[in-house]
Amino acid sequence: MHNNPILRISTKILFAPIILFGLYVQFHGDFGPGGGFQAGVIVASAFILYSLVFGIEAGKKLFPSNINLILLALGGIIYGGVGIVSMLLGDEFLAYNILGSSPQSGQHIGILLVEFGVGLTVSNVMIALFNAFADYDKTKEK
Amino acid sequence: MFLAGLIACAITGILILIRIILGKTTFDRVLAVNSLGTVIVIGISLHGFYSNRPEFLDIAIVYALINFIGTVAVLKIFSTGSLGGDN
Repeated sequence: MHNNPILRISTKILFAPIILFGLYVQFHGDFGPGGGFQAGVIVASAFILYSLVFGIEAGKKLFPSNINLILLALGGIIYGGVGIVSMLLGDEFLAYNILGSSPQSGQHIGILLVEFGVGLTVSNVMIALFNAFADYDKTKEK
Repeated sequence: MFLAGLIACAITGILILIRIILGKTTFDRVLAVNSLGTVIVIGISLHGFYSNRPEFLDIAIVYALINFIGTVAVLKIFSTGSLGGDN
């Protein structure tokens, strides 16, 4: 969209605040509306907007596909890993109480890590889905 | 006061829905969907203050954001035929 300065400038202005708002939703999830899922979608929407306005190639230069796929799997590993660690420490799967010195700090650490894993996976799945759909026409024409 | 605003939003939303159904060209419909999104954002905020739950403002911000990105995506599909092209 070289002939569309309003979109390009507004994307450049909006990009960082969108990610900041995503982080706010991620870490504010226990007091208000929010959590890992919503934060993941908001963070992914920043990258999707960038790819829409500057083209999919620029978007892949900003956030390469191989890093995208690695982070996609890493989120699931973090989620499952918290459960496995609590099992290794002698409690049930995803029992947060045992993770910290007291049950309260254990719950805090567990929920923070699990929500982080969910947010990482959701945002990277959204970006990977957008990349797959945006690349589809090009591969069909070849 | 918030209730009056909510009723005004509902009436405006119905008028915009009529515009979406009748809309002559695609761009009329895209513009109408975008303005329906704006009315819904105002409605969410007013409902949040009406029911004493100002957290609804977060949801209104997300709705405005998704509304903007969705409109850009639809217009790009209509003008260039693909989501990923750089032109």
